[in-house]
Amino acid sequence: MSVGLQSMETDVVVLGAGPAGLAAAVSARSAGARVLLVEREDRVGGILKQCVHDGFGLEKFRERLTGPEYALREADAFRASGASLLTEAYVTSATRSGDSSFLLDCVSPRGVAQVRARALVMATGCRERTDRQVFIHGDRPAGIFTAGLAQYMVNVQGLLPGRRAVILGSGDIGLIMARRLTLEGVKVEGVYEIKSEPSGLARNVRQCLEDFGIPLYLSTTVTSVRGRRRVEGVTVAAVDGRSRPIPGTERELACDTLILSVGLIPENELAVSLGVPLDGATRGPRVDQNMHTLADGVFACGNAVHVNDLADYVSESGRVAGGAAAAWALGGPQARDLTPLRAGPGFLYAVPQFVDVLSGERGSVFFRSNATVAAGARVSLGAMKDDDRRELAAKTYPVLRPPELERLVLPPELPSGADSYILDMERMDGGGNDA
Amino acid sequence: MAKPRHVDKTRGSGAETGALPLAKALDKLRKAYGTGIELRDDRGSLALEGAVATWRDKIDAGWAAARFGYRGVVNDLAVPGLEPERLEPPGIKDCSLDGLAVDVAVIGGGVIGASVARELARWNLSIILIEKEYDVAVHTSGRNDGMIHDGFAAKPGTKKAWYNVRGNRLWGSWARELGVDFKRQGSLVLFRGRTSAAAYPLMASRAKENGVDGWEYWSRSRVRAEEPNASPGQHGGFFLPSAGSLSPYKATVAIAENAAANGVRVSFDTCVLGFDLESESIAAVRTNRGTFRARAVVNAAGNWADAVAGMAGDRFFSLHQRRGSDLILDVTTGVTQKHIMSMPSLFQAREKTKGGGLVLTPEGNILVGPTARELPGREDYATAPEEIRELERHLKVNVRLSLSHVITYFAGVRPCTYEEDFIVEPSQRVRNLVHAAGIQSPGLASAPAIAEDVSAMVVRVLERSMAVRPRADWKPHRLAPPELRRLPLEERARLIAANPRYGRIVCRCEEISEGEVRNALRSTLPVSSLDAVKRRTRAGMGRCHGGFCTPRVMEIVASETGTGLCDVLKKGEGSWMCAGPSKSGGRS
Repeated sequence: MSVGLQSMETDVVVLGAGPAGLAAAVSARSAGARVLLVEREDRVGGILKQCVHDGFGLEKFRERLTGPEYALREADAFRASGASLLTEAYVTSATRSGDSSFLLDCVSPRGVAQVRARALVMATGCRERTDRQVFIHGDRPAGIFTAGLAQYMVNVQGLLPGRRAVILGSGDIGLIMARRLTLEGVKVEGVYEIKSEPSGLARNVRQCLEDFGIPLYLSTTVTSVRGRRRVEGVTVAAVDGRSRPIPGTERELACDTLILSVGLIPENELAVSLGVPLDGATRGPRVDQNMHTLADGVFACGNAVHVNDLADYVSESGRVAGGAAAAWALGGPQARDLTPLRAGPGFLYAVPQFVDVLSGERGSVFFRSNATVAAGARVSLGAMKDDDRRELAAKTYPVLRPPELERLVLPPELPSGADSYILDMERMDGGGNDA
Repeated sequence: MAKPRHVDKTRGSGAETGALPLAKALDKLRKAYGTGIELRDDRGSLALEGAVATWRDKIDAGWAAARFGYRGVVNDLAVPGLEPERLEPPGIKDCSLDGLAVDVAVIGGGVIGASVARELARWNLSIILIEKEYDVAVHTSGRNDGMIHDGFAAKPGTKKAWYNVRGNRLWGSWARELGVDFKRQGSLVLFRGRTSAAAYPLMASRAKENGVDGWEYWSRSRVRAEEPNASPGQHGGFFLPSAGSLSPYKATVAIAENAAANGVRVSFDTCVLGFDLESESIAAVRTNRGTFRARAVVNAAGNWADAVAGMAGDRFFSLHQRRGSDLILDVTTGVTQKHIMSMPSLFQAREKTKGGGLVLTPEGNILVGPTARELPGREDYATAPEEIRELERHLKVNVRLSLSHVITYFAGVRPCTYEEDFIVEPSQRVRNLVHAAGIQSPGLASAPAIAEDVSAMVVRVLERSMAVRPRADWKPHRLAPPELRRLPLEERARLIAANPRYGRIVCRCEEISEGEVRNALRSTLPVSSLDAVKRRTRAGMGRCHGGFCTPRVMEIVASETGTGLCDVLKKGEGSWMCAGPSKSGGRS
């Protein structure tokens, strides 16, 4: 048997074969670059594989697809592209080698490969927050699952995680799992949300809870778990305006399962090891409109950059990142002129955080409001120069909700010499931003 | 082997050695904790009976009684609303141990029981280690911060001080022999102000009295140079180079595996139900898995050691439970400090614990804690929100740390006698029973030294009825399974070529391969629960906390044990992971 390190060389390495990585690989390949897509699992598709519900692809394919169907289309396009694929492969370290390339150590059942590449695309997705990260106390028996884990068990392994479930958090996966478990015959006692409004999309609240008679309790949280070996029950309590449980409102619920849908965190450990700075609000890399991070040659896309609500947006960012990474790797313009793009009051965040004014690519600004603006709002992008604001683009939105990502298309021409760009919100009801 | 030495200055043996007369003791306790208290001299121990109003009163009365000069305190005070806890044996019942006859039965698979078994395995003895849980180190031994204390904090003259310093020294060779990752980072106790810095000479003289292996005064600027992230409020520090840390459950697993490799039979899900006594000796041990004979018995039953002593008619002490919680910070925090650090307040000098701090683990995580709360519940590991707030203050000792680094937290329960010292001695009433009880902190640090002494005591018991000779084939070394993430790439490539499963990463946060998970399931200890795999390999211990790897590990467990996915357990009996197949009937 051959022992030793294998060596590989390519133009662009894409890490992660979910929708972002597949799109990035296709796009980089069609731009003429040699591409290697590295995937930890034995199949491409990422988390889409376990999302058997529909609603994917409305933007991209103008069709209502399930997750696996969407993944299959992307996988077909990938196979047709001629890019290379390494499955069951795990990058243990990434370092910059010289000034223009990267060296990745890549472990797989086939051995250890050292891959040299000129550009990297981080399509590493996100992970779920756990019960410990939201500080649930009490016992730690079996029967506490993140929603994604429960989804994998039901949809991929064909296993029921329990018989009587309480769901904490109204994120989309939590809502979808409430419905999925109900369809499987699990009694879902209710969905509990610490915030005063749902965290998931309105359509999911309607289609997954209301249509199935599953109650949603807002401003309520799970404070502790009871059970020595397996969950026997949880304590829920109402919370005050600062998310603190209100004494005296505690209620005991009997259940054998606690499902958590309490947020997603972009996975960027490898990017950070390469010195890529992150944005405190998105917890992903700060990028320009080409999805180029502040570390030259390192691109990022999809949920690794910020948690998207639609797979379609994830694919779109992958396409942008892949194309730009190919151009960079093939020796395109290496100079960048980054002007910061800031989100004004009323926003959770805006991506990209920079505009490279030397780049021809324009793209869109994606943003989330930090509270529901039921009356609607006019959102505009301005170029700031010496306290002078010049409006570049604007759009009126009938309603803004934090769970829903919105986009504002950048104008084809951007004035050079701006100090910064700023995204502003003007509420239609004239109200201020209370955030 | 070192000769056991007794440094028992604190414990007399009943009224004849100048203990406070019963009537006076009763008067004192009743004045402080109410007239519901009754007292009895139980063969030299002070038995507290009757009732008090609160749990806290019960504990305080026990501590007060411990100062009256009796051999031990047996605290049976009732507290309204609290039923006395009963040892609950596992549901499994068989006769796998029926008819067995061994030289030694060790009760308890914590670090003490495992270490005693390992030491005893040097001799030509048949040994069984029984543990009521699904694995070793499930309770106190797996639920602590893994610090190998220097021995400075223990009260001079106590068994704690004696065993801690000796145990600390022994851990160097034990860790090498067992392939346990042990680092002596040293412990830096920061001074909070000039007043506390002035305590240095006192600290040094205590360290000297305890025989601690080295100590140094570090000036404020030295601390700043060594630990640039230390709190700017520091006024220098007291440095103890012999302190270190290891993974307490991995160490216990390693010790037990080495014992098993040397012929010790390990029986899990096995709980002692009682003893058959004959002429002041234990003739047989009754368990839920059968009754077997033993020439000598070691009581290393952790939080149940007083109950086990009682089964042998030798309950001369009782245990109370001090629960402690720790936070675990992300592995990326480990680079922000080089030593174990703490910054105690002056008030802590009066408390029954060392006050906690920031323990740097060999893996690179930082453990923050522990807290110390007197609560009923021998196996109650519930944490409370106020503990997180309490531990937050330790985070200030390193300016780079914040609550956002917390990946998880856990609680453990320290088994404490009211004398707050270890009991390491042969029973005075049962001729073939040796106690290792009340082993609270620094029990992990002390374990190798306690094991040497207990082993010697057992050998003396056995020598009355048999010839005890060293085993020629005793193997001190355990070949630790490879941890691929720590190996050079060439070495990894070699292992993967031999076994491709080492190249299939199952746990992405901690970089654990399928091969490593399978090794954990194939060791000399018969384990199959997910938590047993987690403790051995770290799979599921990282920042996603098992979100990604749990299904994979379940599949590997099912394939290794030949059971269905639905039979996989998280932590032994009753801890099922799934209720059955979904409607589609599961994966084909």
